[in-house]
Amino acid sequence: MAGPSTTTPPAGGVLESLSNDLAGAVDRAGQSVVAIHARRRIPASGVHWRPGIIVAAHHTIQREDDITISLADGSTIAATLAGRDPTTDLAVLKVDEAKVPVASLADASAIRVGTLVLALGRPGTAVTASLGVISTVGGEWRTWHGGTIDRFVRLDLSIYDGFSGGPLVDAGGRVLGVNTSGLSRGAALAIPASTVNRVVDQLVQTGRVARGYLGLGMQAVRLPAALVGKLSLPNDIGLMVVSTEPNGPGDSAGILIGDVLIAVADKPVGDPADVLGLLGGDQIGKTLSTRIIRAGEPKNVSITIGERPRDPRDARGSRRGR
Amino acid sequence: MMDASIAPLGAELEALASTLRRSVVEVRTRGAGAGSGIIWSANGLIVTNAHVARTDHATIVLWDGRELDGIVTAHDPRRDLATIAVDPASVTLAAATIGHATDLRTGDVVVALGHPWGITGAIALGIVHAVEARRGAPRWIRADIRLAPGNSGGPLADARGRVVGVNTLIAGGLGVAVPTTTVSRFLDQVEARRARSRSRAA
Repeated sequence: MAGPSTTTPPAGGVLESLSNDLAGAVDRAGQSVVAIHARRRIPASGVHWRPGIIVAAHHTIQREDDITISLADGSTIAATLAGRDPTTDLAVLKVDEAKVPVASLADASAIRVGTLVLALGRPGTAVTASLGVISTVGGEWRTWHGGTIDRFVRLDLSIYDGFSGGPLVDAGGRVLGVNTSGLSRGAALAIPASTVNRVVDQLVQTGRVARGYLGLGMQAVRLPAALVGKLSLPNDIGLMVVSTEPNGPGDSAGILIGDVLIAVADKPVGDPADVLGLLGGDQIGKTLSTRIIRAGEPKNVSITIGERPRDPRDARGSRRGR
Repeated sequence: MMDASIAPLGAELEALASTLRRSVVEVRTRGAGAGSGIIWSANGLIVTNAHVARTDHATIVLWDGRELDGIVTAHDPRRDLATIAVDPASVTLAAATIGHATDLRTGDVVVALGHPWGITGAIALGIVHAVEARRGAPRWIRADIRLAPGNSGGPLADARGRVVGVNTLIAGGLGVAVPTTTVSRFLDQVEARRARSRSRAA
């Protein structure tokens, strides 16, 4: 047993109060963290966001039937998938009755570089935690699948297996966002609560997040100097159409493989992301004016923006990320 | 909420580390490299991992560099715990303060001290990730903390520097420690066995 000690550590220090604060934050915020059983291997995490509404990471939902969630009170209940948005890696589940509190959200201004944060998860029965800081905060950004996230929030902490879909909380236990490793090849990112609210609204109302769509595959190409000079182009990069979706909006408007887009809505384009940025859900049905080069000659083509069809592969989630 | 200023945090951590460091030893054995150990009592009892103390003898290096001969007196590979005895007559040993592993909550601040990669007396700061229990008793402490080989056998301590676990392995990026409750049970069994053999000898 413990022998005589030469020192008695003092009580009531800053470290001890920090320890109490963090354990308290885990305890409070952990009440709204759930385990989601929708894949093989270990469960993923989710947040009881609004009464009966559970937020999860899209990539962890690998089956759409027979989904159950485990709550902080130890009960396990059935859940149905209300919808998923692969572009922001978010999914929404509905449950009949969850006798656990909903997450208490922090003010958006709390997301600052250096803020001490906890990532919480419930990849099993107990809530688990990791500690770190917010390392980067940037402006609005677009994910590689075309989703818009209000702010770029990068974390200096570990996202352990089963942590995606769990909340990022401050030292007071208030939720700043939802963590995922599915948007960035494994790096820890948080989706801010404002984006989660927006996506939840759309998924609850319509079951999907509508995206505009042209049905064109494009790749940046460098244009010959002679052509740039002849047409007085502002830059020497264009987007060559490398694929067209049959009967898609671009195909219907007469766009052909080999056409090079140089401007969309009167703005020069040099990256497919420039075009994606003009295809928000509110643009569906509107007309997009494009300027293309075909066989060395400029030409104007108007395309009616369609709605992106659902990719059947989305229903399988993804094994990328934790 | 965090009302206290965190300005004294560094000073407090430094004080905690310099106290705890006096109760942590380096355990060197032939062939097995070096691990860490905890001075459990001033009468010469050192606790470490079984995988650190695989031989009968070990060299114990104190925080100030003094070296002592150690004899491995108990070895439990199942719990991954071992005891080493050193002669307390030649030196004054500073026993660690033992805390209560059963009181740990997820989120509690923990500190590890040891010799990761052979660096003497290095400190790491983290939190409790999960306390895995079996039949109400803590079985493993999983900590969100950065450990390395050489931390094995060293202490995981709470925010007041009281030892709550013996750092034993790294799994999935997490530090995994044997709780001090398990160490106490192990030491009680070692003591009971010793008492039995003493009475037989008598």
